[in-house]
Amino acid sequence: MEKRIEIRKKICMLGAFGVGKTSLVRQFVFNKYEDKYLSTIGVLISQKQLPPFRKSDSGRIEQLEFIIWDLANIEKYNKMTKNYFRGAAGAIAVCDLTRAHTFEEIDQLLNKFLEINPKSRIVLAGNKIDLVDQQLIEMERFLHLSDSYQTTYTLTSAKTGENVEQLFVCLGNELLKSE
Amino acid sequence: MGEFIEQILSEKKLAFAIFDHDLILNNYSPNFGQISQVNTRLKEKSIWDIFPELIGSEKEVTAVLTKSQKKYQLEKICKFTNDSARLSYYTLTLLPLKNQTVYTPQLLCIVADTTSETRLEQEIQQQKYEIELLQASLSGYGQYLSHKILGESEKVKKVRKFIGKIASIRNTTVLLQGESGTGKNLVARIIHQTSMPPKSPFVEINCASLPSTLLESEIFGYEKGAFTSAVVSKKGLLEEADGGTLFLDEIGELPHSLQAKFLTFLETKTFRRLGSTREKKVNIRVIASTNKDLEQAVKNNEFRQDLFYRLDVVTLRLPPLRELDEDKLIIAKHFVRLFALDFRKNVKGLTESAKAKISNYSWPGNVRELRNVIERAVIFAEGEKIDADEIILAEDKSRPQDSPTVDIAAQGITLVEIEKKLLQDALIKTRGNQSKAARLLGLTLDTFRYRIKKYNIPF
Repeated sequence: MEKRIEIRKKICMLGAFGVGKTSLVRQFVFNKYEDKYLSTIGVLISQKQLPPFRKSDSGRIEQLEFIIWDLANIEKYNKMTKNYFRGAAGAIAVCDLTRAHTFEEIDQLLNKFLEINPKSRIVLAGNKIDLVDQQLIEMERFLHLSDSYQTTYTLTSAKTGENVEQLFVCLGNELLKSE
Repeated sequence: MGEFIEQILSEKKLAFAIFDHDLILNNYSPNFGQISQVNTRLKEKSIWDIFPELIGSEKEVTAVLTKSQKKYQLEKICKFTNDSARLSYYTLTLLPLKNQTVYTPQLLCIVADTTSETRLEQEIQQQKYEIELLQASLSGYGQYLSHKILGESEKVKKVRKFIGKIASIRNTTVLLQGESGTGKNLVARIIHQTSMPPKSPFVEINCASLPSTLLESEIFGYEKGAFTSAVVSKKGLLEEADGGTLFLDEIGELPHSLQAKFLTFLETKTFRRLGSTREKKVNIRVIASTNKDLEQAVKNNEFRQDLFYRLDVVTLRLPPLRELDEDKLIIAKHFVRLFALDFRKNVKGLTESAKAKISNYSWPGNVRELRNVIERAVIFAEGEKIDADEIILAEDKSRPQDSPTVDIAAQGITLVEIEKKLLQDALIKTRGNQSKAARLLGLTLDTFRYRIKKYNIPF
């Protein structure tokens, strides 16, 4: 049997309060959604393996395991926050499609995150797609953010599970490509 | 370990563990597994398995082990479980172990249970965020969406104001009037999103897209056996839209035979499926739109007067782009930014001549036409700014051809003959210059050469 190379990576969930960071993680890790909003304090740690990935150049199979840091809304940026960000290989930056200001906040957060981890990979998520009319989404905001951070974006619904797995796999692929 | 130390640790909700120089668990207090939320067998486990949150902090952990760093701490950590009611938190502190009898470095790990303090903090924060989320859901999204209607002119501001007012009244029928491409569909969607609860349905149908009989069954639904092909019962759009919005695009094209039936529905909010005797009631908002002059249609007996009056309660006339002088450039610049980002092109704006061309054009196809023109211009733009000659308007396209005419002889003419004639004429007009002739006909040089060879046209 072909040997798998196991790789563990720390990734952070970034975004303003109430954008659905914890719900995305819960949906991804436990296939579950809770309707009640429960604000996160500190950091929730979870682990999940991604589907095995065969590298096109070497042909070897790599199995990525995410150590997911679901961070509380960061109101004050301090030493503790720096410790939270430190050593992350990537981040999922989450915006709430129903709240415009969450796009602005993500820009500030990403700047701080990339100061600590300049080589890390970012994937953007526009969450709560189940609540909005897709034709009314301001794509310009996503295109602008994805252009600024040279990355991709995925529209997700933590509630229905739409594109949630794909979002994490997308970050996984980005990380393995950059190895 | 002494019993009294265990007592102190338990009282203070503290636990400890010692890791050897390979960062393998060596020794630990009895409550260590419980406070650090590790349910598996601890013995001979590495620090990375017990505290996966330390992955990414390898440098810091090693620095503490080798005493080049005094301490490393992570606060308010929680191992996420499926049961959010039972989440518990801890602070993890790593220190170099000061033990004179052991020569190899060791790591002391202190875990402090902070669940009660963190939960208290969570409760306070929860209240604050819940209020903010509620406020955002009541106002934020509506304001956010209404800004999708671009422009700063008074006419555009009026449209936004109208949407704001109508959003609070859920059951009024709305009529949107405006030329094609003025954004009637967009406005209907915004009214729906800002006035209806999340997840409520938005169902749209273009009244011009289906023949009369099909349209009736689509809107009102039918029972099994209502007509030959009705093998099963089917809900109509009225039922699909229950609790939300039904958007009837091009209402002016609603067949006369259906107008009376629809009027009855608007007045009673009840209807019957085709082939049914049972009345159904639904709770929906109807938004209708048209690019027709409905008053004129009433005069021409094409549209029922009573239905027009029923629809014309809350009417919004969407201004055509030619009436929004100052906004043409705002909208154009928005599309330049959008498409430049989308196509990853370094296009930053419009030259003065391009701006003048956009401002002076009448835009019969309104915003839709402007969007398409800018999309094309961004695709083909060669510099950082789009120039006037890259803004290809409908009048530019029609100018050079001057509507070419082809005379059809009484005995008829084949398309091949027309093609041969065009190829010959192009060569004559360009004095045999094949490149220019190809361009005149909108062909590539290779295609042009292939065709003149195919028809044995002398060159």
